[in-house]
Amino acid sequence: MFQILRTEWLKIKKYPAFWWVTGITALTYPGINYMFHSVYENLTKQSSASGKVVSALLGNPFSFPEAWRTIAYFSSIFVFIPAIVVIMLITNEFTYKTYRQNIIDGWSRRDFMTGKLIDVTLISLLVTCLFAIVVLIIGFSNTTDPEASRWSLAYYVALFALQTFSQLSLAFLVGLFVKRSFIALAIFSFYFIIVEPILVNVIKYKFKSESGQFLPLEISQRLLPKPAFIGRIDEVAYRASLDAVKYHVAYTAGLVMLTWGICFWISKKRDL
Amino acid sequence: MEIILELQNITKHYGRIRALNKVSFSVPQGSVFGILGPNGSGKTTLLSIILDVLKADQGNFLWFGNPGSPAQRKKIGSLLETPNFYHYLSATNNLKITHSISARGDLQDIERVLRQVKLFERKDSRFSSYSLGMKQRLAIAAALLGNPGVLVLDEPTNGLDPVGIAEIRELIIDLRKSGHTIIMASHLLDEVEKICTHVAILKKGDLVTSGHVDEVLVDEDVVEMGASDLSALTSVMSTYDHQGKLSHEGNNLLLVLPKGTANPEDINHYCFGRGIVLSHLALKKKRLEVKFLELTGS
Repeated sequence: MFQILRTEWLKIKKYPAFWWVTGITALTYPGINYMFHSVYENLTKQSSASGKVVSALLGNPFSFPEAWRTIAYFSSIFVFIPAIVVIMLITNEFTYKTYRQNIIDGWSRRDFMTGKLIDVTLISLLVTCLFAIVVLIIGFSNTTDPEASRWSLAYYVALFALQTFSQLSLAFLVGLFVKRSFIALAIFSFYFIIVEPILVNVIKYKFKSESGQFLPLEISQRLLPKPAFIGRIDEVAYRASLDAVKYHVAYTAGLVMLTWGICFWISKKRDL
Repeated sequence: MEIILELQNITKHYGRIRALNKVSFSVPQGSVFGILGPNGSGKTTLLSIILDVLKADQGNFLWFGNPGSPAQRKKIGSLLETPNFYHYLSATNNLKITHSISARGDLQDIERVLRQVKLFERKDSRFSSYSLGMKQRLAIAAALLGNPGVLVLDEPTNGLDPVGIAEIRELIIDLRKSGHTIIMASHLLDEVEKICTHVAILKKGDLVTSGHVDEVLVDEDVVEMGASDLSALTSVMSTYDHQGKLSHEGNNLLLVLPKGTANPEDINHYCFGRGIVLSHLALKKKRLEVKFLELTGS
């Protein structure tokens, strides 16, 4: 395992695109949350009555403990940025035929996939660390109530990690299947941003069914329910979404295993 | 003699196209085994199968008497089809990855092989900046890393200039002398004749023949004769006691004989004794290319 990890690091550490996208991700996650936070501050710090009304309605989604939930939700929207790296890490191996060269040099197909599994895991952990740092900074700087619990929702780090890992695994599967980076990224982004949200809503409102929750991205998307200030619009639905999280942990874990099972199977069967 | 590689009825299809059809042969230890064939004959497919890049539809192969495995491939230096490296990495860093996967060689060995293929001065340049010949040299360096006992080379001189081709030829000869086993696919028949000890010839996925190169690609003696009266010369030579075949080529009469049996002096004496004065008499080897084309039916 260590040898695989070391080899993957040799591949990645001098890969300019990896560092560029990592840098962009490192800026995006704090940046986007800072932007939402700034909007919130502008709305609520007005001295007029409207500012007070907004503050009463929204509460303080950027203070603990709600900061965990709020920032997780907003950050999860941008998983397609680290997905770029994940897709490139597999599609480049096809483009430059280094996948086959790794096998020729002495790796098994399983070794190669294990290396990619490690890559996706590490990228997920990196993104999760970014998320955690952003939460801690924003949360601690916005929490004025000494009685507020800082850590009661800290488990959202694990939920965020699981969701990120699940969705990046799906991005990897698309890359493995398509083998071309631009096309894979286009398919993944299109599905992530356009297709699945539409499908979920069509299934929910037209067919009056909740089966949309089992679509591949939606399964993990429901690990991170909307923050309270949005959920208050429909309290019943909001409560249901919070209660469903534990089921979606199991569903997501199952989907992750299925995703990587398919990846290993494709790798085993396919000619290079 | 120990058998390094044994193929048993290897068959491979690409859809309806039959790339290999029950190909079987053995590679003895210490040999330089050439795999020859026209374009599309299945050479690269065969090498891809024994290196686990492709899966055979039927048949199997044994490396060192055992089924193929990653552990065995680590001990084999390989160059398959095209040089495959990470474009953004230098030669040194690419070879570090080869070393990391195969466990062949070490950092000093990386320098050694780069010097051996004359890439040391460009060792820190990105692979994407290399010419085709340089990329090919790097691929050869990767195959040589750790001095493996077995090498599998697919067109190793592809992209190299004449000097490079000669260098690779000398390298392979040196490796053979030091007991290495080399399996090599090539189009260059002259190189095969100079380097290989054994050969297998493929045609449209079928194994045409295999064995020692001197037996498979036997040269023949060709006696080329000319006279002012070609028909009279032909009549006289048809009575000459020989084990060959007569044919015409232009204004000359050709007598193709088994290798080493031609006696031009005797032929000259025989013709003169029957009133034919030869204006042209030459002993030539049958062109290897002609022999290859005969075997492959081209």
